[in-house]
Amino acid sequence: MTAVLDLFDIQGEVTRAYARFGFFYSRYLLLQIKDGARGRDFICAMAAQVTTAATWDGGPQSAPRPDSTLNISFTYAGLKALGIPRASLAGFPADFVMGMRARREILGDDGPSHPDHWDPVWKQPVHVLVSINALSTEAREQRYQAVLGMLANSEDGVVLLEGHRGPGGALLPYQDGHVVFENGQPTSKEHFGYTDGIGEPIFEGLPDMAERVWGRGKQVYDSDGNVNWLPLETGEFLLGHYDEAHEYPPAPMPNLLSRNGTYTVYRKLHENVGSFNKYLEEQGAKYPGGKELLAAKFVGRWRDNGAPLTDAPDAAAKQAWDQKYAAASPQEQDRMLAGVVFDDDQSGAKCPFSAHIRRINPRAALEFGTKNAFDTPGALANRRRILRRGLPYGESKPGQFSDDGEHGIVIMMLGASIERQFEFVQQQWINYGNDFRAGNDKEILLGNHGGPHGACPSRAVLPVDPNSQDAPFFLCNIPRLVTTRGGDYFFTPSMTALRMIAEGTVDPT
Amino acid sequence: MSNIAGKAYAMNVVTPIRWYFVWLNKLIFWLAIKIPGVLTGLITLSLIHYARWVIVSRNDFPHLSPEQPREELKYSYMFFFSNFNGSWDQYVDSFTFSIPGGLDLFWKWNIRYPNSVPLMPFHNYIRYNQVDTNHYYNATPLAASNDVKAAAAIMDSLQSFDKAVANLSPEEFQKQYFAVLRKHQNDLGDMQPTPIVSLAAHEVEMRRKRELAQHAHEHDHEGELHG
Amino acid sequence: MADKSGNAFALTCFCPIKSGHEGEIAFADLIRYKLIDWGLDEDSPMAKVPNTYLCRYYVLDDVYSQSLPGTDFYDRWYAFWSIFSDDVRRKALPYEDHLKSKYLVFSANLHGDLDHWLRGMWRHAQGPLRDIWQYCYGFEMVNDEGSFVQYMRKCHRSADLFFDGSNDLPLQQQLRSLYLKQEFGKFVLESQGLPPAQLQQAWQAFAKRVDLHNPDGPAWRPGQTTLD
Repeated sequence: MTAVLDLFDIQGEVTRAYARFGFFYSRYLLLQIKDGARGRDFICAMAAQVTTAATWDGGPQSAPRPDSTLNISFTYAGLKALGIPRASLAGFPADFVMGMRARREILGDDGPSHPDHWDPVWKQPVHVLVSINALSTEAREQRYQAVLGMLANSEDGVVLLEGHRGPGGALLPYQDGHVVFENGQPTSKEHFGYTDGIGEPIFEGLPDMAERVWGRGKQVYDSDGNVNWLPLETGEFLLGHYDEAHEYPPAPMPNLLSRNGTYTVYRKLHENVGSFNKYLEEQGAKYPGGKELLAAKFVGRWRDNGAPLTDAPDAAAKQAWDQKYAAASPQEQDRMLAGVVFDDDQSGAKCPFSAHIRRINPRAALEFGTKNAFDTPGALANRRRILRRGLPYGESKPGQFSDDGEHGIVIMMLGASIERQFEFVQQQWINYGNDFRAGNDKEILLGNHGGPHGACPSRAVLPVDPNSQDAPFFLCNIPRLVTTRGGDYFFTPSMTALRMIAEGTVDPT
Repeated sequence: MSNIAGKAYAMNVVTPIRWYFVWLNKLIFWLAIKIPGVLTGLITLSLIHYARWVIVSRNDFPHLSPEQPREELKYSYMFFFSNFNGSWDQYVDSFTFSIPGGLDLFWKWNIRYPNSVPLMPFHNYIRYNQVDTNHYYNATPLAASNDVKAAAAIMDSLQSFDKAVANLSPEEFQKQYFAVLRKHQNDLGDMQPTPIVSLAAHEVEMRRKRELAQHAHEHDHEGELHG
Repeated sequence: MADKSGNAFALTCFCPIKSGHEGEIAFADLIRYKLIDWGLDEDSPMAKVPNTYLCRYYVLDDVYSQSLPGTDFYDRWYAFWSIFSDDVRRKALPYEDHLKSKYLVFSANLHGDLDHWLRGMWRHAQGPLRDIWQYCYGFEMVNDEGSFVQYMRKCHRSADLFFDGSNDLPLQQQLRSLYLKQEFGKFVLESQGLPPAQLQQAWQAFAKRVDLHNPDGPAWRPGQTTLD
C-alpha cells in the first residue's frame, strides 16, 4: 500500500528542490538563541510563516504558491537552548549531537577544509538555520526583512550571526545562493560547468513520485530481467515511517517530535575553479579522448547537457544521444538523463569507478556483474541515498585560472541518519575507494586530495574496454578541487514538532 | 580493547544453541561449503579476509587439569569470528541487505535469534552477544581483502609478462604492456592507511601509542642509567 | 573438520583460566590487562611469528545471551500455551547458563601446517606467551616447543565453517605482492605516455629495482602501518 504523506506537516524543503520550481535565489541565515522563552516566541512567529510540502497544483493537499519560501532547522545546541527536555535530547544520535566540526576526521575535512579555515560565522555556537528560496531577488529581500522584523521583536532573545564570507571577502550576516546564469538564462549548472541535481532520490509518498521514479528510485529487475525502478521507502528520508529495513528509523521521543522530521547536513563547498580548469587543460592535452570527454569522466556526465557516459561513452555516441534527446518528449528526456545503470559497464570503460555519479549512487554496480549475488541489486546503495538541496553561490568566470573569489555550492543533504547516509558516503565512497575495489582512490571531484602533512598524491584510473587495444589512462596528482568552508548538522522538524517546540510542549513522558 | 587493526575489524559473537540442534547447524555449514552458490553473496561483498563458525558442544569445553571444575552447561555454543573491512556500525546495513538469507541460515537455530531483517533487533542481538577483542594483530593493516587478492594476481601477471617480453621489439612490448594494464586496470588502487572509521577507536589508539612510545622511551632511559 | 581452506588454517583455542588472583586482580582480568598492554601492529609479539595473517585474543568471562523475542523454534508453541499458564510463559524464556571457568580464547588465521606454525609461535614469542598463559590450567606442562604444541592441541576446537576470503600465498609472498602492487602502481603513473623504446627501458629498470623474480625480494613488513 502506497504511503500518503501529510504534506501540510512536512517542511517544503524536504520534498522539493525549490530551484526546479523557479526559485532561483536563496539566502541562508544562522541564528543563536540567547534566551529560551523569547527564543520560543520567535520560533512561534516563524512557524506561522514556514513553507510546507503542500502541492501548488490545486489538489487535495494544495496551497497557493508563494513567491518566496521559508524553512527552519536546529542544531543539537539549538534544541537544548529552546528547552527540549533532557529525555528527548538523549534520543538524538551521537553524530547529530557532536556536529560537523567534531566529526571532521570522519568527513576528511583536513588541510584547507579544516574548520580553522571555515567562514568566521562558524566560530560561534550556531543554533538555527533559516533557509529562504525566492522567485526573484526582491521577493528574497522581502522575506529576509520579515525575518529581521521577527528577530527584532525577540528583543535579543535570538540574534543573527555574522561572518559568512561574501563577494570580495566581505563578512555578511547571511549566505546568498543563486543558480548559475548563462547569457542571462538560468541553468542547473555549478561553477565547474556540470549540470547538477539530476539523480534526486525518489521515495514513497512524494507527490510527483510516479513520473520521476525512473533512474531515481532503487534499481530492481522485473521478471524478464529488465531494469525497473521502485521508489525508496519513506523512512530513508523522513523519521516515523518505514525504512528499507522495514522498521522505523531510530528517533528521539516523543514520536510527535520526530515523525515527519529529518536531518539536514548544511555544507558550504568552495569550488577551486582555477585548479579545476588548469588540471583539465593539462590532463586534457594528454588524454586521448580530449578535454571535454575527460571532464565528463570526472563526473560520469557530459558537461553541456548532462548526458550520461553509460549511454554516451564517446563523442560519436554523444552525437547520436543528442539527436535522440532533441527529438524526445519531455518525459523521455527526463528518463534519458536520470535512467543511468552500470550493468553494461562492469569494467568502468564508460563511466569510471571514481566518477562522481558512480560513487554517490552506485545503483547495482556493487554486485560487480554477479547478478543475484545480493538479496536486492541495490543492497549496498539503497541505505546510502541522500536528498540534495541548496544552490550555487558567488560568481566565477568561464576559463578562470585562479581559485580566488567566493564561489561554490551551498549544499544541504537530507536523510534519516547522518552517519549511515551522508557520513558513510563522504568517508567510504568519496574519500576512500575499497567498496569500488579501488583501494584508497578517492572520488575525482569531491575527494579530499592532497591531504595535509604531505600525504600521498591522489590518483584515479579511467579504464578502457578490456577487449580493445588501448591503454587505460591514469590521472595523477589530482589537486583538491573542492574545499569545505563551513557547515553543521541540523534537525528539520515537522510542522507539528515545530509548533510544539515553539510552545514548549515537547514531553517524552 | 582493540577491535580494529588497520583496515580490519575483529568481530566475536557467542550465541547459545540447543544441544540437539547442533547437528543440524553443522549440516548446514557442511552444505554451505559443498553447494556452489551459497557463499556467492559473501564472496561478491568482498569485505571479509577470513571468517569462521565454531560450535562447541556443551560437554566439549577443554578440560585440562583435575583442579579445573567441569562445565555443566545446558546449551552448546556457537562462536563466530570475522575479520572484515570497515567498522561494524558502518557495514551492518551492507551485510543484512546483501545476504539476509545467509545470515538467517547460519544463526537460525540459535536461541532467540531475531532474523536479520528488520535490522535493529538483529543489530542488538549481535551487539549484545559480541565479545570485545583484547589484542588484535593484522599482518597487512594497510591492505583490505580486495587489495590482498588483487596484489597476488598482479604479482603473478607481472612475472609472466616479464618473461614473455624479454626479446620483443619496443612496439610489440608496448602492446603486451597495455594488455597487462587492461587486465589489471581496476586492481591498481593506491594503498594508504585506513580512514578513521570510529572517532572513539581512533582516540583510544592514539592514547595507546603515546603510552607505548613513552614506555619505550623510559625503558631506553633506564638502559642508559644502568648501562 | 573445516579448519583448512587450501593452505590457510583457522586455529581456534579455548584455554581455561585458573580461578585465582594476584593481589586484588583476578587472573582473567590480569590476562586482559596484559594483552591490552601488548604492542600494536609491528610491535605486537605476534608480528614475529611467521605466517600469521591475522590473530586475536579475548577473555571469555561467561556465556550469556540477549533474550530477544524472536523466531525461536518453539516460540509459537509456547506463545499459545502461555495464554493458559503462567508457568509455560516462564518456561519459554531461555535457561540461565554459566561457565565455571573463564577462558582465554585465541584465534588465528595462518598459513601452512599447524604444528609447524605453533612451534614458530613458541620460538618467536615465548616470553609474552608465558606471561599470558601462566594463569591457565594445564600450562605448567609447557616447557618447550613440543609441549606447547601438545597443550594448544588440547585447547583447539575445530571450525565447522571456515570462510576464506583471501588467497593461499604464504604471508611473506602476500607482503611481497602488496609491495609489488604498490610499486607497480607508481611505475604506471611515472611511465604513462612514454614512447615504446623508453617504456621498455623503464620497465627493465623497474623489474630490476623490485627484483621481480626473486621471492625474497623487497616486501612490506608484517604489521607495517606506514609507507615511505
